[in-house]
Amino acid sequence: MTREELLARLSALESVVPPPRGGGDHEAELLAAVTELRDIKAALDEHSIVAITDGAGRITYVNDKFCAISQYAREELVGRDHRIINSRHHPPEFFRDLWTAIGHGRVWHGEIKNRAKDGSHYWVETTIFPRLDAAGRPVQYVAIRTDITRRKADELELQRFTAELAEKNKELEAIVYTVSHDLRSPLVNVQGFSRQLARACEKIRAAAAGAVEGRVPAAALKQPVEEAIPQALRFINAGVTKMEMLLAGLLRYSRLGRVALSIGPLDMDGLIANAVAAMKFQLDEAKAEVRVGALPPCLGDATQTNQVFANLLDNALKYRVPDRPLRIEIGGRVEHGAAIYTVADNGVGIPCEHQPKIFEIFHRLDPDATAGEGLGLTIAQRVLERQRGRIWVESAVGKGSTFFVSLPLGESSVPTQS
Amino acid sequence: MKVEPIILIVEDDEGHAILIRENLEAAGLSNCMLHFRDGQAALDFFFKPGAAAARGPGQVYLVLLDIRMPKVDGIEVLRQLKADPSLRKLPVIMLTTTDDAREVERCHQLGCSVYIQKPVDYDRFAEAIRRLGMFVTLMLVPPVNGN
Repeated sequence: MTREELLARLSALESVVPPPRGGGDHEAELLAAVTELRDIKAALDEHSIVAITDGAGRITYVNDKFCAISQYAREELVGRDHRIINSRHHPPEFFRDLWTAIGHGRVWHGEIKNRAKDGSHYWVETTIFPRLDAAGRPVQYVAIRTDITRRKADELELQRFTAELAEKNKELEAIVYTVSHDLRSPLVNVQGFSRQLARACEKIRAAAAGAVEGRVPAAALKQPVEEAIPQALRFINAGVTKMEMLLAGLLRYSRLGRVALSIGPLDMDGLIANAVAAMKFQLDEAKAEVRVGALPPCLGDATQTNQVFANLLDNALKYRVPDRPLRIEIGGRVEHGAAIYTVADNGVGIPCEHQPKIFEIFHRLDPDATAGEGLGLTIAQRVLERQRGRIWVESAVGKGSTFFVSLPLGESSVPTQS
Repeated sequence: MKVEPIILIVEDDEGHAILIRENLEAAGLSNCMLHFRDGQAALDFFFKPGAAAARGPGQVYLVLLDIRMPKVDGIEVLRQLKADPSLRKLPVIMLTTTDDAREVERCHQLGCSVYIQKPVDYDRFAEAIRRLGMFVTLMLVPPVNGN
């Protein structure tokens, strides 16, 4: 509304308001209006954090809610400006823009992060309403705020979950990609060798059709019966077995994500001793020397954590160097609020370029050298992630590998970032 | 002079390698074929010291390359072949079970000649090899071993 329009409205208003009849009525009306205003202010104070400043930004009034959330007493606030609760979260331009708006008499809306007296932070959704003098200059600013600290925290949490979900989705995509490839591979054999089977049948049929006096020459049957058909059947069977194994592995992997975890304090000295004892036969057979240092306790699921270390021991056995005695050293330490365990061997080691791949599902570095389905470390990684843990490897070819497992230390030190 | 290219089958799956060879033979190709069980074996064939001399002068090759293999994968083999000035013109046919668009794109960027998805249409496959074989035979003698 322009100034001219406003003046026109005001004069129109004056002409319809009846002139005051008597002093008593006028006072009663005023009283009623004041009472109404006071009640509205009380309602406002019940709901909102309210502060009023003068034209220069000095606080002249704060309500109880302002004092409560900022933890400052009224005397500490009145006479000061809002810098007292500045959290330094917002850049200087943020407040410059705010002041430009309200300094020009425009209402400002926004979200501000403030700092309470004890140094903690709180978020407020804010409306600043400039009260103007007759010339249109601000003489007072009324700031009405709502505490949105909780909402902000939720938003942050939501962002974190969204990022985590996106990460998980990417992982899942990679797994589907790998698995679909690995499943197709045996399928190609089943299809290809089925055609070979069909061709062999065709040869036999042709030989039978050309039989003289009901006698099929043995030479015509030799290739299909002795070579083509057995070979085809061998590859078809191997393909089917492979597919079955992959599907079973996939099922095992997916089941892991649904098993309920029972997280509690883990006595790692006991857990590792059990894992080593369970493999005593294989370790003795390999003449392995296992040394276990002092291990800090941690938080985790006993069964699943045991599975991780059993798998690492099994790997150390599998990938040992045949012509030197296997040595396994298990140690532990506390670092950055997490327990870190190491399982070090003197085995064949993993070349640098292969190290990132060893946790991939169904990935085998050397499928001919050892048995396995390529699932052990994938499962270990999954199991640990569900317990807010991690697994990684350092390795040198010919020297050996060291696997690191981190797990949360205790209730108070569970990292917030997973 | 007509030199038949030797077909190098780089394939970790024994069944696939047999199927490829048999179907090529069934289609009438009489080329000599060599089988490598992983990418490292193929790289050794080309890059091991003395490999160039061992291959013999004037011999041409055509590579059938699987992607997902243990040790060194097919993409890495392709990258190294195409990065080598004397092997760069070698025709390479990617023969793989994936049809992932990014993977196909990556192989074409690296310079593969043809990308064929398994299970293959063996008629089309044999035709592609015949044409590429003719191409190397006519155009690129001697493409390998030249310094």
